Amino acid sequence: MGPFKTHFWKDFDWVLLAAALLLSAISIAEIHSATIAQPENFFLRQLAWVAVGVVFLFIVSAIDYHLIAEHIPWLYILAIGVLLYTLALGHRVSGSKSWVALGRVQFQPSELIKMVAVVALARYLSELRSSRYMTFIQVAKACVIVLVPMGLVALQPDLGTALTYLPVIAVGLFVRGVRPAVLVSLVLGFVLVLPVSWLALKPYQKERIMTFLDPERDPLGKGYQVTQSKIAIGSGGLVGKGLFHGSQNRLGFLPTRHTDFIFSVIGEELGFAGVLLTLGLLTFIIFRSIYNAQTARDNLGLFISMGVVGVFFFHLVENVGMVIGFMPTTGIPLPFLSYGGSSVLMAFTAIGLVMSVRRCRYVN
Amino acid sequence: MRQRDELELLRWRISFVGYVIAAALLVLAFGFWNAQIVQSGYYQQRAEQNRIREIPLPAPRGRIYDRNHKLLADNRPSYNIILIRENSPHTIEQTSAMLSAGVSMSKEELLDRINRKRREPKFRPIILKEDVSVGDIAFVKAHRYELPEITVEFQPRRRYVENEVAAHAMGYVGEVTEAELATDEFVNFKSGDQVGKAGLEREYNNVLVGKDGFKRVIVNSFGREMGKLEEEPPIPGNDLVTTIDLDLQNAAEDCFSGRRNDCMGAADHNGAVVVLDPRTGEILALVSRPAFDPNLFATRISAADWTNLNTDPRRPLLNRAIQSHFSPGSVFKVFMAAAGLEAGTLNPLRNIYCPGYATFYGHTFACDEKKGHGTLSLHDAIRKSCNVFFYNVGKELGIERISRYAIMMGMGRKTGVDLPNEDSGIIPSSEWKQRVFKTKWYEGETISVAIGQGYVGVTPIQAAWAMGGLTTGGRLKQPHFVNPQDLKKLGFDANEIMEEEYPISQNTVDIVSTAMWGVVNEGGTGHNAKVDGFEVGGKTGTAQVASKQANLKDKEHRDNAWFVGFAPYRNPEIVVAAFTENGGWGAEAAAPVAHAVLETYYKKKTGQFENPNTSIAQK
Repeated sequence: MGPFKTHFWKDFDWVLLAAALLLSAISIAEIHSATIAQPENFFLRQLAWVAVGVVFLFIVSAIDYHLIAEHIPWLYILAIGVLLYTLALGHRVSGSKSWVALGRVQFQPSELIKMVAVVALARYLSELRSSRYMTFIQVAKACVIVLVPMGLVALQPDLGTALTYLPVIAVGLFVRGVRPAVLVSLVLGFVLVLPVSWLALKPYQKERIMTFLDPERDPLGKGYQVTQSKIAIGSGGLVGKGLFHGSQNRLGFLPTRHTDFIFSVIGEELGFAGVLLTLGLLTFIIFRSIYNAQTARDNLGLFISMGVVGVFFFHLVENVGMVIGFMPTTGIPLPFLSYGGSSVLMAFTAIGLVMSVRRCRYVN
Repeated sequence: MRQRDELELLRWRISFVGYVIAAALLVLAFGFWNAQIVQSGYYQQRAEQNRIREIPLPAPRGRIYDRNHKLLADNRPSYNIILIRENSPHTIEQTSAMLSAGVSMSKEELLDRINRKRREPKFRPIILKEDVSVGDIAFVKAHRYELPEITVEFQPRRRYVENEVAAHAMGYVGEVTEAELATDEFVNFKSGDQVGKAGLEREYNNVLVGKDGFKRVIVNSFGREMGKLEEEPPIPGNDLVTTIDLDLQNAAEDCFSGRRNDCMGAADHNGAVVVLDPRTGEILALVSRPAFDPNLFATRISAADWTNLNTDPRRPLLNRAIQSHFSPGSVFKVFMAAAGLEAGTLNPLRNIYCPGYATFYGHTFACDEKKGHGTLSLHDAIRKSCNVFFYNVGKELGIERISRYAIMMGMGRKTGVDLPNEDSGIIPSSEWKQRVFKTKWYEGETISVAIGQGYVGVTPIQAAWAMGGLTTGGRLKQPHFVNPQDLKKLGFDANEIMEEEYPISQNTVDIVSTAMWGVVNEGGTGHNAKVDGFEVGGKTGTAQVASKQANLKDKEHRDNAWFVGFAPYRNPEIVVAAFTENGGWGAEAAAPVAHAVLETYYKKKTGQFENPNTSIAQK
């Protein structure tokens, strides 16, 4: 405990925590603005989740990531068990059986389990015999590690969250190195699977993709959300209408505005300036993690950091791309900003892992 | 070495991921820059439209009164069910399905109404049902949370308090058409507005129409009002006081509807009555039968009602008083007499022998009195309506002079009445026949024209106008319902009443006026029009509809009956042209109608008139 005490606080990444807390502050303010007309105090709950998230962050960052990786098989089996439990006994919220109750608190385990997948894949990739490219068997094994939990999430069925597992594989395989031919065939395979999976999609999922391709196609339906979101963001202008003063927000034109469309509220009330600030903070967190990956003491740390980068990046591009109409509508939350405990805990745990990687590079 | 290469490779790939991320973030930032900086104005406007709803406050049309300020047309409150598609949580199919049960309309009917306006902007309300019942309103109000896109809108509606009375003068209102909107006159109107379609409603639409107001309110995404921003109250249209005298109008209407015993000859016939004050041109009454109920048009007229009105062979929408012409028959003789006297071809002291027929150009023309009238003066020829006398008058005048005088006296041209689509009537000439039939004029045709048959066609309003002009010494005042001075007071441009005076000697006026006094008061054909104490003059006319040879005397082919009267016979103050289609003899089917009007006028003038309706009310 001796070296821990002296080094932990000194080596702790206060700047990264500050970025996360600043984002959380924006989040809590905008959640308050978005839900002011509702009886539940969503912003206070978010505040509580952030507090829990910070505790998670300190715990995870204090633990040596090698220790986590060592015990990852048990965590992985536990995670699969939880997903199976969710599938069997979970709560159904808007069509997906993806929630479990811990006492009075509802929780979506699929978010946090994504971090288990990140560490599990990182351990597998880091333990491979050194070679320029992975073999086909290795690629297949790596895929299986992520696809098993991902498949269980997809069965809930929560296609949006399942998709957020993909960047874990994609970034992991790319960074570890696969033959260009394998890379091409993976992409091709994905493309070829698309039409088949189109047939397997539920009507509302097809509708979402069609809406993405042409939002004005059915402005009263799903495209309505994107149209209203763009109106909110565009009307915010350079400096926004001010906190609590967004008409699109306050008059209820924005859909699911405290969760998936929180960034529209930010765009409307804080303007382009607020958008740049928020995006800047998220970008800082991502590039800080990339830097940590490059300076990691070993490949395990490198792959863990890059897994987190992949997950954050995917959430960010999909969610922010969605509110501005660049991406189809999916229920993927924006880390640190969207309302919801599962998302907050996942995000803080993820930077906890990155901090652990950073802290351990000083340990020799 | 090898490990080091691999590390370099890993780092390079990580950097590559970083570049990809940076590029993606730049694209996102560009998206926000484009929306929030470049297109910000557009989105701000969209946000405003989202937030602010403009609720129209329709202005009531001005009321229409008779000359004594008795109400003819006003407005009643009504409600429409409207759909606002913008921000509706339902598809139009869902909305129609949910609404159809509550407002007793089929889903298909509702969809059809919506689809007809599909191309209009989504924020513009679509009327789904007009003039709805209290039950319909209750249904909409009770379902305002389930169907936020459906609301009830207030709209004042036209009410014609006298129903069919003076329907053709009143006209009716209806929704402005696309074609009308394309014209300059309707530049300030928008789709869905009510405008005058016929009659005075059409002619004075710009006076009667008010200025709609609006209320701008903040609404939430469910369309619920959250607050009022501004309100501009509607400005009602201007009231119009017309020259119509409802008592005279009713007297004439009652003859055609069989409610008066003294003029049953006109009951249930088609026909027309025009009552004028020849001194001013004011129209005191204008009847056209059969009539329609203009209230049917106040709500969107039902398809069945519209088909009935349009396919009815009696053509109830046609204003017979001004829009169709008929042979004037013997009424034309007095104008022939005046023309002959003025042209000098007819000596006022001349007598003509009537054997019951006359032969001109190898054809024999009959007189109505088969035994012949014997030797007749001009006075008696008019009184007894002798054809033979006027065959001679016509022959001596010739068609060119007949034509010139008739047109001068107010026939064969529009009177300029302030109603749309007036007919010109026909006064033939050789030039006219060449133009229309491409054949030359036969002298024999002049003989028929002299007694108001053949090609001659006169509208009832022309008959009244021309008679008024002749008996007031050649003064023709433009017939009108609305005094231009009243319009000027309201701030509208209005032309003065047109006045003409054609040359005619007082002697001629006296001769024909006295003769027409004789028609009524000396046992002539117009004795039914006599009003004691009121020196009535007039002339009957009985115009052939089918040829005599066909000898059809069933109702459809009976002669058209005319009586054009005036009183007092010197310096008249009222002219009545009564026309009864297929009524038979003018003496029986038309003169009693004129009598009903003249008697009412005289009673009112002398304070003896008792309105049957008001007297009951007073008791």
